[in-house]
Amino acid sequence: MTTVEAGVAGGVGTSPKRPDGGLKVRGEFAFSSDLWADDMLWGATLRSPHPHARIRGIDITAAVALPGVYAVLTHEDVPGAKRYGLEIVDQPVLAMGEVKYQGEPVAVVAADHPETARRAAARIVVDYEVLPAVTEASLGVLLRHVPIRTGDPDATADVVVTGEYQVGMQDQAFLGPESGLAVPAEDGGVDLYIATQWLHVDQKQVADCLGLPAEKVRLTLAGVGGAFGAREDLSMQVHASLLALHTGRPVKMVYGREESFFGHVHRHPATMWYEHGATRDGKLVYVKAKIVLDGGAYASSSTAVAANAATLGIGPYEVPNVVMDASVYYTNNPPCGAMRGFGAVQACFAYESQMDKLASALGLDPVEVRLRNAMTTGSRMPTGQIVEGPAPVADLLIRVRSAPPAPEGSGDLREMPGGVSNTTHGEGVVRGIGYGIGIKNVAFSEGFDDYATARVRLELIGGEPAVLVHTAAAEVGQGLVTVQAQIARTELGVERVTVATADTSVGSAGSSSASRQTYMTGGAVRAACQAVRAALLARVGGARLDGGKVLSDSGAVIADLASVIGDGPIEETVEWRHRPTYPLDPVTGQGNAHVQYAFAAHRATVDVDVELGLVRVVEIVTAQDVGKAVNPLAVEGQIHGGTAQGLGLALMEEIQMVDGIVRNPSFTDYLIPTILDMPPMKVDVLEMADPHSPYGLRGVGEPPTISSTPAVVAAVRAATGKALTRVPVRPEHIVG
Amino acid sequence: MRLNCTVNGEARQADDVWAGESLLYVLRERLGLPGSKNACEQGECGSCTVYMDGTPVCACLVAAGQAEGRDVVTVEGIADGPVQQAFLAAGAVQCGFCTPGLVVAVHDLLARDSAPTDPEIREALAGNLCRCTGYEKILDAVRLAVQR
Amino acid sequence: MKTFNYLRATDVDVALQRIAVEPGARFLGGGTNLVDLMREGIEAPETLIDITRLPLDGIEELPDGGLRIGALVRNSDLAAHPVVRGRYPFLSQAILLGATGQIRNMATVGGNLLQRTRCLYFYDEASACNKREPGAGCAAREGFNRGNAVLGTSDACVATHPSDMAVALAAIDAVVEVRSSRGTRHIPLTEFHLLPGTTPHLESQLESDELITAVELPPLPVAAHSYYRKVRDRASYAFALVSVAAALDFGADGRIADVRLALGGVATKPWRARTAEQLLLGAAASEDSFATAAAAELAAAVPLPGNAFKIDLACRTVVAVLRRLTTERSGS
Repeated sequence: MTTVEAGVAGGVGTSPKRPDGGLKVRGEFAFSSDLWADDMLWGATLRSPHPHARIRGIDITAAVALPGVYAVLTHEDVPGAKRYGLEIVDQPVLAMGEVKYQGEPVAVVAADHPETARRAAARIVVDYEVLPAVTEASLGVLLRHVPIRTGDPDATADVVVTGEYQVGMQDQAFLGPESGLAVPAEDGGVDLYIATQWLHVDQKQVADCLGLPAEKVRLTLAGVGGAFGAREDLSMQVHASLLALHTGRPVKMVYGREESFFGHVHRHPATMWYEHGATRDGKLVYVKAKIVLDGGAYASSSTAVAANAATLGIGPYEVPNVVMDASVYYTNNPPCGAMRGFGAVQACFAYESQMDKLASALGLDPVEVRLRNAMTTGSRMPTGQIVEGPAPVADLLIRVRSAPPAPEGSGDLREMPGGVSNTTHGEGVVRGIGYGIGIKNVAFSEGFDDYATARVRLELIGGEPAVLVHTAAAEVGQGLVTVQAQIARTELGVERVTVATADTSVGSAGSSSASRQTYMTGGAVRAACQAVRAALLARVGGARLDGGKVLSDSGAVIADLASVIGDGPIEETVEWRHRPTYPLDPVTGQGNAHVQYAFAAHRATVDVDVELGLVRVVEIVTAQDVGKAVNPLAVEGQIHGGTAQGLGLALMEEIQMVDGIVRNPSFTDYLIPTILDMPPMKVDVLEMADPHSPYGLRGVGEPPTISSTPAVVAAVRAATGKALTRVPVRPEHIVG
Repeated sequence: MRLNCTVNGEARQADDVWAGESLLYVLRERLGLPGSKNACEQGECGSCTVYMDGTPVCACLVAAGQAEGRDVVTVEGIADGPVQQAFLAAGAVQCGFCTPGLVVAVHDLLARDSAPTDPEIREALAGNLCRCTGYEKILDAVRLAVQR
Repeated sequence: MKTFNYLRATDVDVALQRIAVEPGARFLGGGTNLVDLMREGIEAPETLIDITRLPLDGIEELPDGGLRIGALVRNSDLAAHPVVRGRYPFLSQAILLGATGQIRNMATVGGNLLQRTRCLYFYDEASACNKREPGAGCAAREGFNRGNAVLGTSDACVATHPSDMAVALAAIDAVVEVRSSRGTRHIPLTEFHLLPGTTPHLESQLESDELITAVELPPLPVAAHSYYRKVRDRASYAFALVSVAAALDFGADGRIADVRLALGGVATKPWRARTAEQLLLGAAASEDSFATAAAAELAAAVPLPGNAFKIDLACRTVVAVLRRLTTERSGS
């Protein structure tokens, strides 16, 4: 816990302004697509139009002949490892003899103008032999099956409800396109400036593919325009580096929006069968579930997504008997991987729909049936893991239920379903209210060596104490740079803190994903600050810091902080880990796989024009336990943003696949919520300290994305009486 | 072609502009003004919103030649004022990619209507997508800017 | 995007001469559709003649109470014009429900009429499309066709016309004025756009050397009591699944004395619902007559596997709008 007195502004628990905010509002912040170098070339990628095909030959002659073209490269030009991958190294840098999904990269071009590069790529002639494509998960090759068995597999119950549910393929749709700049270095290596979620994992894969030692592949984080999971896998990193090394010039690559839809993984579409058995009093006796995930052409992080769907797949409820099988398959659909929620989103839609179905079958209120089964501290997960620390599932449900009801319509037409276009005065508009609660793991699991590194330096600048914090942690918009500075202020009592640009010259911070960074990089920064503090105190035999002074045990002032720092800065680098997690038993799925759980509940209120099938979400209330709100304003921002993505999945977002072809790769046809689609959101933040985490905090980013979707759908069901077993829900599902 | 226009109050010139370039490309790659963003380059997100002759437009759909002689104002040309300050104070900036387009759109809204209601704010900003914030703190920011 | 020449017109007559002699030349207005189509490789003019500096951006009231709208009037200016808002409110509503503020500030009236379909297969150069390539086939018929048309389709094409503004103009019986070096013609809006038939690549009566110079609205008292309703997948910034432009007037006997009805989102051109109008004229203003008229209009609809829901949705929307207009008029 914190041992430095408050009194320094901008510490943990406050909401100081973002250090990068000024640049961002003035349009001066350098995103990865804004980079520039003298003598720079532009890269472009040729991608497969077919979901599955053999490549009989690639003819680059016409492309090379185009004036302004400096390089045209294929897999033959990849000097090192020909494949990369997050969990399984199965994905070709550039296709070798076969393409397995529409959009798979086949060749790359460098030219002096982006249009020239595009035209050159279009001139490459690829001789494809089209092959049959597997586009149904159940017909694909199994990638991973995660079974969980606990209790009695033959348990019976008085009341049984079953259902089949589907979640369509959602896209992260970050606004900043895949982009970056690769600069060839004098040592034969490359300096890469990119937007990513994990610098070191990118570095390793790039180095392996370039056949270079890691020291010669130096990555610096450029400004990231959102991530939400889509930047965990490589996009243009190796491609740009190859072109830069080949041409000897800096190469910039920026994907267009259409290309972006092919340039990153998507959320796994899921089909799920659930059976819930309960007593007449509404106590769950058993849950049987089968989850099928379509993993697409390459593994990405599918194996971990499947484990999440399985282990979190019955929800934040106590269930003594569980038969769960979550499987992910290879197909010739585009690769699916990490997206905020990571398997828990899909399962939550299914189990929360089931809980409402159960409530209905029992004649119970939907919140009541949840309360009767709510997990709490000491509850047992279906994996056998005991939930440690606060697990305020019932409390969160009660809070969203007892929040004041959403205001009735004001009569303003713009507040009607369909907006300004609505022609009703409210007749035919039915209000519905729905609830959802979800569970998410925080940080990496199943025995993964999850750690973060932080370097902290305390020195005098202009005679005044100043702190430099240096990590490789990717700021993707969530506010990690702000939080790192806040922690340093709190731990060292120094207000002047600079967070250095993230790069690979310091050790790995792990991924900006799994809602883990405030916990992990925050934990590392805290630990490094504590090490700095210990070293500082040791210089003069002091016991603690307070108000810029070093004090003894008894509280007497020994020295001024500035004088103790004197001519000798203190710098410490710490590699910080969370408590170990353990693998799941391959047959029973038992194991203490996760290090922390996080819970959020939603109440959605909708007005539905039942005649035309138009939904207007009137209000969403979220209650979430964050352990400790390190930056309250940023915590709210994460909850708002996650809830918006959940609403999007509920009502409008889907990548339309037809026979392995993406039919809607544009913002015209892949619809994300506009400001007119989003309702006012009320947030109730609980801070129930986790005894094991820094400051007691709990990961924040993913839980709001998880229970928001089922809450919105439940509200539409309440208004319409329709079963609505698939998301996104469309007007024709409501009126049909 | 050579392109002459006024950008952020200054007469600017760009040479060797290819006719197929957009105003957005010219601003970002030729005139050293990368503040306006390229989230979709199809007029479907608003991240490239700039003023052209006093009216907000999507710079990605303006063919370079059409900007000849026009008065263009980008986010970089809007003096740091209540709009930008409100965005910072309200926590309306996360990744920041939508922010430049929104600053222009909000600046325009408040120039036309100094006290917009919430429905009016939402209507006016419907052409700017944000993926990080859920728009809640963007609304807070606009209300805050109105107050200031 | 193909290389092209960019020219700027400052005189209408010179522009008309130019378009007649420049090979592969097209007029460029607001660019909100054409620039995108060029970037997608769907349109590839050799020359663009920028007409945005031509003096065709005025709106003038006509002596008979109608309105003459210059072809270069921006969508946002047209929607805000007091005469449009007062006398043809559904036209203003239709425009405001399309696109976004930024796009409406750029788009011209003429360009809006000429905008091309958003059919996913039209936009995908790898797909067979008779519009892009006559004789190539129509991949939309067997594909993901949720957004495609159910009215006015043919075996060759099922592409939906995406304009909202044009639907209201069809209901108004607007007239399109076009000029070429050969003279001026006036084309009723309802005849301006062509059904695909066997020639889906021909979308309007506009000849390659003609320029839309104005759109004229006749005086239309019933248009003062009108609505435009748009049903789509999100609250804003999306094309219509179904849209309805309707105007209603009642006689002293409470029966429908005048009606205009047009549909969007469901047809290959802005769809004037004449069958429905004929049934509504003189009928009682009841749910029944509304539903009967809508069903009669949609009776000719040919559904595809993905868009059959549009037929019922269109009927419901027609009924909802007519009901609204009736309720308003009766004050109940």
